[in-house]
Amino acid sequence: MASPANTAPAPPLFRAVASSTRPLYQLLKSIGFTNKVHVDITENGLRFMADHARVMQGVAHWNKNLFTSYTTNLTQLEDEDEEDEPATPTFQISLPALLETLQIFGAVDAATRQAKADIDPYRSNLRNYRPDAFSNQTLGMSGTCSLSHSQDGAPFSIVLEEAGVKTTCNLITYIAEEPELIPFDVNDLSFKIITQARWLLDALAEIGPTAPEKLTITASRKAPYLKLSSVGALGSSSVDFAKGRDLLETFAVRDARWVQSFKFDIIKSAMEAMRIASKVSMRGDRQGVLSMQFMVEVEGAGLSFLDFRFVPYAERDDNEEGEEDEEDDEDEGEGEEL
Amino acid sequence: MVVNFTLNEEGISVFHDALACMFKFSDEVCLETKKDKLTLTTLNLSKSAYICFTFAASRFFSRYSFEGNAQYRDRFFCQLHIRSLLSVFRPRQGGESGRDNRETTIERCDVAIDDGPGRKSRLVARINCRNGITAEHSLSFEPMAPTHAKFDKTEAVNHWTISSRTLRQLMDHFGPGIDLLDINTDDETRVVNFTCFTEKVQKRGANANEAVLKKPLHTNIAVEMDEFDDVEVEDKLHIIISVKDFRAILQHAQIISGELAISYSNPGRPMKLSYNSEGILCEFILMTIGQDDAISQKHKNPRANSVAARGARPELDSGSRRGSSVVNATRNELSQAQEIPRVPQLQQKTALRPRQPQFEIRPQPIPPQSVAPPPPATARSDSLFVPQGDDDHQWEPINPDQEDDEGGNDRLEWNSNNEPVWRIHIVHPNISLTLVTRTRPSFASAAI
Repeated sequence: MASPANTAPAPPLFRAVASSTRPLYQLLKSIGFTNKVHVDITENGLRFMADHARVMQGVAHWNKNLFTSYTTNLTQLEDEDEEDEPATPTFQISLPALLETLQIFGAVDAATRQAKADIDPYRSNLRNYRPDAFSNQTLGMSGTCSLSHSQDGAPFSIVLEEAGVKTTCNLITYIAEEPELIPFDVNDLSFKIITQARWLLDALAEIGPTAPEKLTITASRKAPYLKLSSVGALGSSSVDFAKGRDLLETFAVRDARWVQSFKFDIIKSAMEAMRIASKVSMRGDRQGVLSMQFMVEVEGAGLSFLDFRFVPYAERDDNEEGEEDEEDDEDEGEGEEL
Repeated sequence: MVVNFTLNEEGISVFHDALACMFKFSDEVCLETKKDKLTLTTLNLSKSAYICFTFAASRFFSRYSFEGNAQYRDRFFCQLHIRSLLSVFRPRQGGESGRDNRETTIERCDVAIDDGPGRKSRLVARINCRNGITAEHSLSFEPMAPTHAKFDKTEAVNHWTISSRTLRQLMDHFGPGIDLLDINTDDETRVVNFTCFTEKVQKRGANANEAVLKKPLHTNIAVEMDEFDDVEVEDKLHIIISVKDFRAILQHAQIISGELAISYSNPGRPMKLSYNSEGILCEFILMTIGQDDAISQKHKNPRANSVAARGARPELDSGSRRGSSVVNATRNELSQAQEIPRVPQLQQKTALRPRQPQFEIRPQPIPPQSVAPPPPATARSDSLFVPQGDDDHQWEPINPDQEDDEGGNDRLEWNSNNEPVWRIHIVHPNISLTLVTRTRPSFASAAI
């Protein structure tokens, strides 16, 4: 590991200050399905990538707009190291620890506060879910959160300052494993649908109670256009978007239909993203990989995007298990032709 | 299609409430449809409670058609898991705060049941949301004829009616950790008493052979008869039911609202509770606890005893003569059991006579009266209450020898003469509350 700093304090590789950790927390939480997250520091922001067994990947961006100040000193790396070194600092970090850190102070979202009020009778009786009189919001003293990473191999440090209390957290960084992106061929799309993220959330909430193993996503040119279906132990459920004219903002399917099955639990891990996002763009390529891009509107900082990719079940498996249902069989028959 | 019906948004929530109430008794529900009505019935596991909700085809549903097929000409029936029905008919709004919920609420729910040779036997519920999303749930079912409990109205001479709301409010006074409710009346003072207590015991001592009452607290809620309508009850008749069942019923009754009518005959015989509202009739038949049931249950092997104690449900099929006869009958449709006139009762009376009408966990009356107490009795008398004098052990029905008058053998009272109990009286305008406890009460525990 190259360690260039034995001279006077070199400017850190990266330093950023944010006045609110809430959007940072929310964005990061939506990919909170793994223990370690891969971090890339670029000039435009931080990129976090979570990977689940190489069948699901989620990418969250902290755009530099989310910060009040954002400086990088990436030249430092490029200057001193050879070309084969990556130009951007990359490392891995414990995601639960980072999330925990970000909500140490007032950043706790309202939901958590309410949950606490429910448990604590004193709060629920007297304060009635109102924000705490001494919270930073009420007193008008917003805290600051500064993030820095001084050099390669150094800890990722987060300093939270609120109302005279300063908390410093140093999170150990791990050497990055070269993360391989799930291949998704943007030039060979089979379908593209843009819709409201919450409708997708509602659809999954509809299917959720049956706790199915698999979720089958069908996009077809004719009605029902977009259909999510599952077979559980107690019966089958399906949700379709056929009737609402305004449900699908953009809708394009290249072949007659695109059918793929995914593990329900991995799709469910994206529900947090659906909750905070306003729109979702679902795309599927010819190989069956599903990409979901969520557009999250962050107050005062424009748009942020969350990117998920899912690998489907191998189709042969589908045929074996899908035989209970004649309709499914048909679907998969056509799916194979693709 | 055998059956087709449509529920509007409100209907879905009423349907959901009914299922949620049933879910407190059982995991499965029998759905039965006829031309003019849809009936949901369930029987709990111990077969001590039967629930029947009837939905009038014309008034409750926005559309209803029973077509039938060759197999089911007049009526169709099947058994379903309540849990899966609950998730289908759950209210969709709410959840996300700050969202415009109108769009995601349900417009209507079309339910179709198909069955027959060559067809898939499924209940298909199609939920249409206002925003155009449709969800379709198809549930498999089991063809199973519903079990109907019959209730002999002529036998049930005791009855009263009360607003379900009032009764629900009284329930707030029931203490925690209780499992039995004794309903009795006093003609002199013109009150109906609701006494709740528990017979649960804790095992103590080196060999875990000392049985100690878990909650030595009796809460008595006396309600003036003026609060009731149509009261006609035999004086001082004690009828005991499970509080858990009663709670579940009242919770639902309060949602449906209206008058709750209760009728019953004697302990150990069924009690019927019913209430109705726009297009829905709710009936519950609960087996009341005969005192001998309580005893026989406790006298079974200690394992079963602990199971029974934990289960909080007085199982009626636990070996008592009366209970088992009822349960056997329940297996062949329960109806005969209730139809059997009073003959079994008379038999029981003779059968019961030698039994001491007492609850096992109470300290035995110290010899000489005690007739060959079973071996555990000595262990039991080492219980919490031992340090009190001999006389104090008689926490037993007031008149153990009076088995001659009807139902007398099932009486449950507590000797109030010479036992050191603490009584706390709380008097409301129409309700008086009495807490009876054998341990010194702290006001924290008595606070209501």
